[in-house]
Amino acid sequence: MNPVDFYNETLTSVPTEHGFYPYESNGGTALAIAGEDFCVVASDTRQSNGYLINARYAPKAFKMSEKAVLANSVFAADGNALVRRLTQRIQWYKHSHEKEISITALAQLVSNTLYYKRFFPFYTQVLLGGIDESGAGVVYSFDPVGSYGLEVCRANGTASALIQPFLDNQVEFKNVQFDDKPRMTLDRAICIAKDAFTSATERDIYTGDHLEIFIIKQDGITIESYPLKKD
Amino acid sequence: MDAFVNRFKGSSTFLADEISMLDGFGSYDAVKEFSQPVFEIPAVQNANCTDEKSDSECRIKIEHGTTTLAFKFQGGIIVAVDSRASAGNYIASQTVKKVIEINPYLLGTMAGGAADCQFWQRELGRHCRLYELRNKERISVAAASKLLANMVYPYKRMGISMGTMVTGWDKTGPNLFYVDSDGSRYKNDVFSVGSGATFAYGVLDSGLDYELSTNDAIELGRRSIYQATYRDAASGGSVRIYHVEKEGWKFIGLYDVGKLHWEYCGL
Amino acid sequence: MRAKAEIPKGGFNFDNYRRNVFLEKQGLGLPKAIKTGTTIIGIHFKDGIILGADTRSTNDTIVANKNCKKIHYLAPNMYCAGAGTAADTEQSNALISSQLELHRLATGRQSRVITAVAMLKQMLFRYQGHVSAALIIGGYDISGPSLYNVHPHGSSDKLPFVAMGSGSLAAMAILESRWTKDLERDDAIELAKDAIEAGIFNDLGSGSNVDINIIEKDKVEILKNYAKPNERAVKEQSYKYKRGATAYLKEYVREFIVTEGDAMDIS
Repeated sequence: MNPVDFYNETLTSVPTEHGFYPYESNGGTALAIAGEDFCVVASDTRQSNGYLINARYAPKAFKMSEKAVLANSVFAADGNALVRRLTQRIQWYKHSHEKEISITALAQLVSNTLYYKRFFPFYTQVLLGGIDESGAGVVYSFDPVGSYGLEVCRANGTASALIQPFLDNQVEFKNVQFDDKPRMTLDRAICIAKDAFTSATERDIYTGDHLEIFIIKQDGITIESYPLKKD
Repeated sequence: MDAFVNRFKGSSTFLADEISMLDGFGSYDAVKEFSQPVFEIPAVQNANCTDEKSDSECRIKIEHGTTTLAFKFQGGIIVAVDSRASAGNYIASQTVKKVIEINPYLLGTMAGGAADCQFWQRELGRHCRLYELRNKERISVAAASKLLANMVYPYKRMGISMGTMVTGWDKTGPNLFYVDSDGSRYKNDVFSVGSGATFAYGVLDSGLDYELSTNDAIELGRRSIYQATYRDAASGGSVRIYHVEKEGWKFIGLYDVGKLHWEYCGL
Repeated sequence: MRAKAEIPKGGFNFDNYRRNVFLEKQGLGLPKAIKTGTTIIGIHFKDGIILGADTRSTNDTIVANKNCKKIHYLAPNMYCAGAGTAADTEQSNALISSQLELHRLATGRQSRVITAVAMLKQMLFRYQGHVSAALIIGGYDISGPSLYNVHPHGSSDKLPFVAMGSGSLAAMAILESRWTKDLERDDAIELAKDAIEAGIFNDLGSGSNVDINIIEKDKVEILKNYAKPNERAVKEQSYKYKRGATAYLKEYVREFIVTEGDAMDIS
């Protein structure tokens, strides 16, 4: 269109078209940190819509196997649908192969499940944390249509832009010069996760209520819960 | 043998609603069908919710922005790529693997939609393996690239975005093809794809010589990507380099552009 | 041929309005103004008026200020709580406040609440809702205590109790269930606090602390941060960097103290 015509057209209002929109954003944040022999997956439990809080305890992270935890963010309905579908597939895998699915295989399964809905995507960002076949901590992150990669640490959701730079600095030591870089211990990872969330809660209106931390180790998964601010 | 091939010829993607539990393990072909909304949704119909060009209000941000290049020289083919993924104006990752190792003899590069490239090249890898099992010889690069082009062509204008280079060494020698989601497929000695391609071409074309030594060729690829990351905001992270030789591809290295900058700026 | 534009004598400048609408359609939106999100309330009690507000201001989904002031001064006997665009509420109040002061100097009389309300609503109506200020005005004048609210388009109500802002529904739920005529001072403060806290906890646009203003005959009490139900959690560890954590390229030391001539002989 001619810019002048376009300019003039902006002056005449057009009726607004209302239609059904299949997606919404439910806010919330999730993070995952991989260590040498453990993995930490943390997420808040607030679910909201606009200025309203739908639920103060609606978990976004789910145990998928004895060695894998999956955390969703953005659209809760799609996230839950995805988790349900994956849970079923993991069961099928278990019964037909007579073993638990490895996190490598699970990661590719998540990717394929997301891509299968390429033309009507699951509106969700996925984090998958766990222990791989060699016993090392791993984090996989996925985009809404299934592109994925292995990472050391990752933050997703409404406060991702607040937390990711903090993790880059504290976990991967980006933009600092250290003589002795401290090893990532489980205690340090949990401290970082807690501080990331208490800080994000201060500034992101969609993050709050409770913090749920999944600790994945060779001998199983434990869950720790902490209160976050409720305003 | 055929029974074995038949067992695995289906895709790992599945349609939960349409297959019974018993034949659900990979016997459904992803290439045939994808899930579509069963009701009309203007937002979905218009832009598949993911195409940034046709809908500025689109809410699902897919990772975009890249510089990739590959060129032939006397020692084979050099493939060099950056490692940044951006979603809107957020840098989603600085550690993306934009070279996809299809099999020990074939490499694909990634530009455009990250998931589109990853998925279809994984699918290509599967098809190439089936070809090997059926024909008892490796697939040629020409055939593999055509397979990829044909696989995505039915989805033209449905929102898939893929600009890829397929490279490898087959019985005809080193081969380099460009394949994209519009249906194009070209053979040439040099390609660069992505938002930073023009910057990379600038360095690449001025330094390209078929008789380059392997080390010089690697250096040319590395410098070309570095210069592209310097000028293109959507490219960055690290330069990842592969060398395609007679014995298959070889991973050369990963070079942080932050460190390369001080090397190249002459300080 | 358009007539030469007149130079406006004062007030708002609309020169770039059409250009900005055009740019917005092209995809270049303006940065969002800081909104106060907000829960504000006002109630009558036996001896006067109580105004209450939360202290969160937001810029889209990010908290811009954790402890801001939303109850503004209008006159010595009159205060105003504002919701909407922070700049609009502050400037509207400042404008009317200065006019009231001049009026007091000219007449030598105490300002009346209805005067302030009339001036505010006339001004807001003139700007057809573009000045985004939703206000609760409380004061004590010659006719006793009075409480009004004014909407951004210029309408107003005189009410026994009122709530405005995004948390008004949560706050009004408390007020509706517990407000009665001639509340005692302490009970009224407690009610105001509970109403604001309902907004703080149930509305994402409101948060942090409770501010209370009590306006009685010839007496105003300002209770900034009357309740602090949202103290920040203590951090798990210190994030102080060791000396030398910042990378640098060059180092040179400049002498700030320059010694001239020989040292003084003090032997």
